[in-house]
Amino acid sequence: MKYRAILVERDSVMLPHLAGALKADADFDLAATYHDAEQALGQSSVFRPNLFLIDVDSPKGLKLLPDFIDFFPNADFLGMMEHWKADTAEKVIQAGALGSIVKPFRTRDILKAMEIYGRRGQKKPTRTMAFFSPKGHSGRTTLASVMALELARKSGESVALIDADLQFGDVSMFFDVVPQHNVVEASHDIRLLNPATLEAYFHPVGQGVWVMGGPVRPEHAELVEADRLIEVVRMAGSLFRYVLVDLPAGFNPISLALAEFADTDILVSMINSGQEVRHMKRSMKMFQMWDAYGKKIYPLFSGVKRCTPEQKKKIEEEFGRSVTKILPEESHITAITGSGRLLKDLPEDMPYVRAVDDMVGEIIAGRR
Amino acid sequence: MEGRRSIVIAVFSTSAGSGKTVTAINLAAGLAKEGYQTCLVDLDLQFGDVMGYLDMVGDVTLADAQAALMRDEASFRIEDYLAEYSCGGVSFSVLPPPKEINDAYLVDVDAVAEIISRMGGFNFIVLDMTAVFSTLNLAMLDMSTVINFMGRSDFLPSVKNYKVGYDTLLRFEYEERKICLVENRAEENDLINYRDVERLLGAKFYHRLPVDSQAVTRSIRMGRPLMFSAPLSPLTQSYWQLVGRYTNRSIAPRQVQEQEVPAEEEKHSGFSWFFKRGKNHAEGQVKG
Repeated sequence: MKYRAILVERDSVMLPHLAGALKADADFDLAATYHDAEQALGQSSVFRPNLFLIDVDSPKGLKLLPDFIDFFPNADFLGMMEHWKADTAEKVIQAGALGSIVKPFRTRDILKAMEIYGRRGQKKPTRTMAFFSPKGHSGRTTLASVMALELARKSGESVALIDADLQFGDVSMFFDVVPQHNVVEASHDIRLLNPATLEAYFHPVGQGVWVMGGPVRPEHAELVEADRLIEVVRMAGSLFRYVLVDLPAGFNPISLALAEFADTDILVSMINSGQEVRHMKRSMKMFQMWDAYGKKIYPLFSGVKRCTPEQKKKIEEEFGRSVTKILPEESHITAITGSGRLLKDLPEDMPYVRAVDDMVGEIIAGRR
Repeated sequence: MEGRRSIVIAVFSTSAGSGKTVTAINLAAGLAKEGYQTCLVDLDLQFGDVMGYLDMVGDVTLADAQAALMRDEASFRIEDYLAEYSCGGVSFSVLPPPKEINDAYLVDVDAVAEIISRMGGFNFIVLDMTAVFSTLNLAMLDMSTVINFMGRSDFLPSVKNYKVGYDTLLRFEYEERKICLVENRAEENDLINYRDVERLLGAKFYHRLPVDSQAVTRSIRMGRPLMFSAPLSPLTQSYWQLVGRYTNRSIAPRQVQEQEVPAEEEKHSGFSWFFKRGKNHAEGQVKG
């Protein structure tokens, strides 16, 4: 017996159904079942349970979830819902539970859910970060990729990188992988999926990072609706503690919708012809609307020659506001991404990586 | 339709940073220098660089042209919405992109097509585009006489996007001979050999432009096309040859236009290029 479980389900038809499945599995010892969450909260301690399955479609169950977690700090918690609801799933994680599963389920679904949710990392809300650049050739994908690796390495939690640059995305190539599924398929199927089945749409590249690649043909980009893609991103939040989204360049329905959805927007432009600061300035106008609502907006400049505090100040003067980070020009990093050696050959002591690492440290510490 | 008299060159690519804007500017300047009435249209509506690279400021933009066209189609004159670039006796028209990103969002594809077709007075219309298959770009590719399809071989993901882009163009049934494959940043000793890229694409490069980052930087800093800011650069010479190909004229390599080159410029950087060039530099040959 691995799990001494408490089942809280208000539906009187569903309850015996779920209970039956648990009773039939030797891995589970069904300690008690309840229709009422409040009663369960009051009585469960006598059974010394280490797993709670709580109906979170019921407002009471969802509301009392934080109290359960308070009372039973050593137990695992799974929310149960009849259909996947992103809002509820996010609240369940926010309360400190592992995540949610869709009813009805088999006991192996519970085990699978516990495995993937356990791997996710801390039982804290997902950080969703969108990477935006006004124009292409900005170092956006490089930054997103290196940040994904560094986030996973420093936090020990799992990180997803979704390639939403739907026509000409390079994420898979940077990691030298050929994912079986892509973002177009995931968006198409999302309403039939739950986190456990969505997992197969991500390709594990190792070191705690999973990627979802772009489509094979650029015209398939048209098949992706922004709201479906947002559903993919939200469900990915149950699987990964950090969900990074590499956006297409410029403002378009996809980049606008995802930048608006993400809690953090990282804007990046590569200093090259000298026009880039102006482009970023114009882009900021669009982002400032969201800034007011507590979204985190971080402008960065890549490809900076002579990466000094003075140089940063100079850029900031032209930009007219503070710049989160300046990233040095680094031909070595281009060689690494260009040949798909990001996983193997990313030296930690490279100035570029150190600069990204700084920011990653601040994100993990909750300062950014 | 009147506009069909003009030759429309769509400067297109499917990977960013492949030199579309620099190429569009230097094609326009070269064509103008050859005596053709030329208009350069900046179709990077949100973040166009043509005005910045040429150090121009314009009052009216494509957004104004569209508004006027929709207000009164009969009295619309495209000339009222063009800026004029002049340098060293060479001049060409520029249609600037909207000033505000919101206005860029409101640009209507049919209106742009109509505006381009009202440019019949020009011999050449050069379109500077974005690296994406958008509705606007597809409409423009449809209207174009040739597609100057740019790519670079020095970064593998760019090669992938070049291949994917080229295959897509063919799948969209653009005629092979309409697509002119132009390699930018061509180097003989590149990690990726251009012949391998040709093999991958299943087609030969129409033209290969050499690397001269210094010349490009100088050109942008001065706000002048390469023929005025870096006349000696092999890149400048290569653009002359490309202009020659599109005009079906053989243009002899230009000599330095001394009066246009500031005295302090380091000319050795330009010359060093000539010495490095291989004997069989394909981009150096003008056919016909």
